[in-house]
Amino acid sequence: MADSLSTRQAEDPGAPVGAPAARGTGAPTGGGRPRLSARTRRRALPWTLLAPGLAVIGILLLYPIGRVVWLSVQDYGLDNVVSGRSDFIGLDNYARLLGDRYLWTVALPNTAVFAVVAVAGTVAFGTLVALLLNTLSRFARTAVLSCIMVAWAMPAVSGTYVWVWIFDVDDGLVRRVLQTAGVVGPEGYNWFAERSAFYAIAALNVIHHGFPFVAVTVLAGLMTIPRELHEAALLDGAGAWQRFRNVTVPTIRPVFAVVTILSTIWDFKVFAQVYLMPGGSGGNRDVLNLGVWSYVRSFANQSYGLGSAIAVLLTLMLLSITVVYLRTLFRDEELR
Amino acid sequence: MPAGPRARGHVRTLARVLAVAGVLAFTLFPAYFMLVSALSARPASGTEALLPAAVTLENFRFVLVEAGFLRYLGNSLAVAALTVVGSSLLALLAAVAVARFRFRMRTTVLVLVLTVQMVPLEALVIPLFLQVRDLRMLNSLIGLSIVYIALALPFAVWMLRGFAAAVPAEVEEAAYIDGCSWGRMFWSVLFPLVAPGLVATAIFSFITAWNEFILALTFMNQSEKYTVAVGLRQFFGQYTTDWGQVMAASTVITLPVMAFFLLVQRGLVSGLTQGAVKQ
Repeated sequence: MADSLSTRQAEDPGAPVGAPAARGTGAPTGGGRPRLSARTRRRALPWTLLAPGLAVIGILLLYPIGRVVWLSVQDYGLDNVVSGRSDFIGLDNYARLLGDRYLWTVALPNTAVFAVVAVAGTVAFGTLVALLLNTLSRFARTAVLSCIMVAWAMPAVSGTYVWVWIFDVDDGLVRRVLQTAGVVGPEGYNWFAERSAFYAIAALNVIHHGFPFVAVTVLAGLMTIPRELHEAALLDGAGAWQRFRNVTVPTIRPVFAVVTILSTIWDFKVFAQVYLMPGGSGGNRDVLNLGVWSYVRSFANQSYGLGSAIAVLLTLMLLSITVVYLRTLFRDEELR
Repeated sequence: MPAGPRARGHVRTLARVLAVAGVLAFTLFPAYFMLVSALSARPASGTEALLPAAVTLENFRFVLVEAGFLRYLGNSLAVAALTVVGSSLLALLAAVAVARFRFRMRTTVLVLVLTVQMVPLEALVIPLFLQVRDLRMLNSLIGLSIVYIALALPFAVWMLRGFAAAVPAEVEEAAYIDGCSWGRMFWSVLFPLVAPGLVATAIFSFITAWNEFILALTFMNQSEKYTVAVGLRQFFGQYTTDWGQVMAASTVITLPVMAFFLLVQRGLVSGLTQGAVKQ
């Protein structure tokens, strides 16, 4: 959840800089430490403040990224975990991975097509909700927003279980209703076994969880559009759709860019939402995405080298999306 | 049938009310269904759980007392508390550095903090597992907390940076004129002004630690060390699942997060938009 807010403060203009003047360091230091010049200490201060945080990020985030790349060029199995020995095999894991039909027919489509569908659904539905909220009175808007927060606040783990229960193959609500309506026969239907149905349920889960972020952000964008723009378009005889296309969309284009790219990043790396569904933890090979495949390869099949290669592939894909994201953020003004 | 402007207005209002009702139904249904399933005594099917004939707390009692969920709650609370304290402290220092100073490589640090958030946990879990294993810290709540501090840190820095930058430079300068050292200024001037941001950041770190699944699943393989997100899995029987119990446990996990979300909601909505929208 946490990274869902990373857009916040992204472009706040004019962060004031309190440059501590030299007199700030004028207090005498106690003890026998040699006195550094005020200038040196002023220079060192930000790095001293940053040091613990950067150390933690370095040791627990950057070093592991380096290590996963290193693992991906090794044949690293259970015996290597025990002995700590490494068998360097160059790019063999990547060659094996890229030559695997499973990557191209199952894992990659499951990841990418799902992300496209989920992002499109989240952004479209979130925008519609924002447009609706924008027409409401202040009180009604606040009330509806509070309710929408409930969907956002639900942890992925419990949210996924609720959807699994709703679609439960034996006793689920959907099956019972469809059976009563005569759509499904008494033998029932296992939607988790078939990958398009499996991912349709996963998409429903992800859209339900993700649309509040889009709605809230787009709504904030809508509220900054000056009234006059719409009134002018109305005078020119523009219909509702024309006004949306030619006034609303261009004005809040940066907002759309940010919510789309962030949603893409999140939906590429869904894990719990797939892993916790029936068959999603490796039982059904048709429904794994890159993340779950990497995890299953590593921890269930004890093939850490190949699992790392899959993870590196996923990371590279996310990194390229991130570059686009950063460019969008940095386009208009320097990060302050 | 020609409709007057008044009739059209009525139709519009009606359409709007229906749309709002639809959105609310879609949004709230899973939470409602989770709660009613948890409150009904052994629901045989989803339709039965939808409108329970009798309300009972038996599922909650079973989950908390007999299934050991109290222990998982304790584990999760301990991990989340350590994560909150650690990440808030480190993030405060780092955020002050990037928000109140101009120095070389400052932009590089900011880009690093932003980029590192995008790395998928699926890529981190393999090397972190080996690292934690080598340190013999598997099944250690402290080990898990240290990793969570790193996970929560980039976002916490990013968020606090905005709060630290919002303090006017004049306030800081006034403190120096009064003869404060930098350290004194930090504690007496900057810290109280950034404190509300620190609360919001702490809540997000809490939610990160509370909801995290993949690392807890990998690091914790003794059932007495499970966190809530992983403990939930054990309600799934080999052949049958008691959905009343699963939903009761899910409700227990969800409630703290929801409470915190409501607490930060206001800051969340206004804060989110500052980033994406040019004012």
